[in-house]
Amino acid sequence: MSTATIALLGQPNSGKSTLFNALTGLHQHVGNWPGKTVEKKEGSFSYNGREYGLADLPGSYSLSANSDEEVITRDFIASGKADVVCILADSSQLERSLFMTADYAGISVPCFLVLNMADVSREQGKQIDVKTIEEKLGVPVILISANDKKEYEPFYEALEKAVEKKTMLNVSSLENTYEKINGYSEIKNIIPDNLIPGYSTMWLDVKTLENDPVVMEKLKSAMDKDALAKIEEVKRNAKGAIETGGAKFAWIDDVLKDAVSDSKDTMTLGKLDRLFTSKVWGKPAVVLTILLGLILSFIPALPLMGIGMVVSALKAPVGDLLTTVGCPEFITAILCNVVIQSFSFIFQMLGFVFGVTLVFGLLEEVGVMARISYVFDNTMGKLGLQGKSVMPFLVSFGCTMGGAAGTRVIDNWGQKVLTIALAWAVPCGAAWAVVPMLSTLFFGSYAVVVIVAILFTMLLHMWITAKIFGRHLVKKEDRYGMIMELPPYHKPKWGALLRYVLGRTKDTFIRVSKVVLLVCGVFWVLSYSFVPGSDPILYTIGEAIEPVTKIFGLKWQLFMAFIVSSIGKEGALGVISALFNGGNFSGAFYDAMSGGALASDLNDTLLANVTKPEALAFIFAITFNMPCVVALAATYQEVHSVKWTARIAIYYTVGAMILSMIAYHIGLLIW
Amino acid sequence: MEGLIKLLKDGHARTIEMLALELDTTPADIKRKLEFLENTGIIKRVSFEVSSCGGNCGSCGGCEHSGDEKATCKSCMPSGEVLNMGEMWEVVGL
Ligand SMILES: Nc1nc2c(ncn2[C@@H]2O[C@H](COP(=O)(O)OP(=O)(O)OP(=O)(O)O)[C@@H](O)[C@H]2O)c(=O)[nH]1
Repeated sequence: MSTATIALLGQPNSGKSTLFNALTGLHQHVGNWPGKTVEKKEGSFSYNGREYGLADLPGSYSLSANSDEEVITRDFIASGKADVVCILADSSQLERSLFMTADYAGISVPCFLVLNMADVSREQGKQIDVKTIEEKLGVPVILISANDKKEYEPFYEALEKAVEKKTMLNVSSLENTYEKINGYSEIKNIIPDNLIPGYSTMWLDVKTLENDPVVMEKLKSAMDKDALAKIEEVKRNAKGAIETGGAKFAWIDDVLKDAVSDSKDTMTLGKLDRLFTSKVWGKPAVVLTILLGLILSFIPALPLMGIGMVVSALKAPVGDLLTTVGCPEFITAILCNVVIQSFSFIFQMLGFVFGVTLVFGLLEEVGVMARISYVFDNTMGKLGLQGKSVMPFLVSFGCTMGGAAGTRVIDNWGQKVLTIALAWAVPCGAAWAVVPMLSTLFFGSYAVVVIVAILFTMLLHMWITAKIFGRHLVKKEDRYGMIMELPPYHKPKWGALLRYVLGRTKDTFIRVSKVVLLVCGVFWVLSYSFVPGSDPILYTIGEAIEPVTKIFGLKWQLFMAFIVSSIGKEGALGVISALFNGGNFSGAFYDAMSGGALASDLNDTLLANVTKPEALAFIFAITFNMPCVVALAATYQEVHSVKWTARIAIYYTVGAMILSMIAYHIGLLIW
Repeated sequence: MEGLIKLLKDGHARTIEMLALELDTTPADIKRKLEFLENTGIIKRVSFEVSSCGGNCGSCGGCEHSGDEKATCKSCMPSGEVLNMGEMWEVVGL
């Protein structure tokens, strides 16, 4: 019985394993290629009185020596162990997957071509004229579905023909294309024939132009210095792989011409994408989308705000109840003024976390977020950043720490530091919880205006920060473009989205509860008069610093809340909760507190004690304060520089106070 | 191919569709050429999978397996199911 060895060659996912398994069944064994961790599969089958050995070569994009897989594949083919190479291509995307065939052309081992995934291309409405392709290539070509064993008859026939006739790829038209390439003809004249057995001079010439390391090594050992220098000279003026690659694609198109009828739909951009990618309207469209999103995100927040109010209303009845059952005053006060008050705030805030997460998750899922990052790419360039910096910024809307970690995709250190420095200006999830809630409390439906103002301030802040830090961090250099594949718009998967939003709201709830309760507790104790008639420590300190904090438009209580917000923005709520608490049971503290209006409801107390300009100042102060200590740590982890981490932190603290002052004075003008 | 390279060099962001329109070809043609350029090391796919907190997420409580560098912080970023950001490539060497 005669025998023949076949090697399966194809790009990843071309269906090699499927074909291999179908042909060999149980007659296969799996090992490793010598010295490599790449899997080696061998097997056997017989057909029509001939015994076939089958080797599954590792899948790779092409036959360049870029990876272990590619080197193994080339070595195996060149070793002459295979009598025939079976090249697989994906018939549903021929113009792409014939690249391997184009790269194979010039290797002197007989071959035939299997166009796999016939079912898929049929479904696409493609008609593939196998005969035409066969004529152009000069080797057997078949169209099959590897996962349908009933279709294998043509495969066996093609295989037999290739083995018996030793069919070789017709490379003349490919070589014609190569000849138009800079340097091809010159190099061809220099390279000695049969430099590496099994490869034609054309193939070696192309690989030389592509700077293939293995071929270059061979050239160095086989040729004298002068010839080598000449090749290097020719290569310097050639465009290498870009041109040879282009030639291969041109050849593929030529092979497929008249052979594939495609219901080719003409290319148009969707209406929405024409808007987003328009030079004039892109930015306004994006800004409007974000604003609309934010306004919409307030809608689910309102019911939860109601729940928060209800929780707050529990304070009086619970307090009364505890007093009547003889609970010590101190404990009653803690329960009512720390625990219940904190939860009231937390619930009022959760609605906003839910709303903002939902709306932005939705924008992302339907594909709008990707368009937003596209629109801002050029702006990134003006700030001295790469387009991909936009991702850390988007992530920072959720969590600055995530944004800082996201800068890991930026290789250039200066750009990375600058990206983080700018990402700090993006209000994070905690800010999106605290700020809308406080704004709604103080300004009612005008909260939307405040949010819009914050967004514009954010953009301005980023621009100024880039101007200040940019000079030291990034050099004006040539900037390459960016390519994006915008995802298709699709309907949201509500289940997955809601699971994500609820999960995140829950995480926030847990984290915020811990921070607010702790901060509120600490500040409440500090403000509690243990000795009747004496001033609490905090009050003494507060009174002392107030003349300074007033400059920034902040009462001392709010200033302390601002300081605490650098640990975590939720912490500010804890401080407010403790320091403005209407029902301070000790009484003494309250009397001392400039006799501010007393109300059992904190919201009312706040409204009575904090003027609108002060509230505005405070909101800007905490929004643009440093995000939190964890973000600070994450920043250090990414930039590895104490100096720059400290610089950014101080810059933001000072910047927040300046913004606070400005907001206060603008507020004074309005109200 | 050279037309494509020229467009990639000029510093503007483009979508695959825009490249196809400008070069008077199909998105499929652009895609195969991008695949080629990626394999040649001329462009690089930007992977945002690294948007994890690198195990530093004690406080966000979102990571399923903290310490795993690749784990995406769930409370920082939507998980794969929700994320629909498309693909991005940057030009690295020309
Ligand atoms: N619809 C369809 N799917 C196929 C066909 N042939 C293979 N597949 C599927 O395509 C996928 C990839 O096939 P594999 O056989 O694993 O491809 P491979 O070339 O061995 O891939 P690597 O192992 O990555 O090199 C699998 O899910 C197969 O089930 C086909 O003719 N039609």
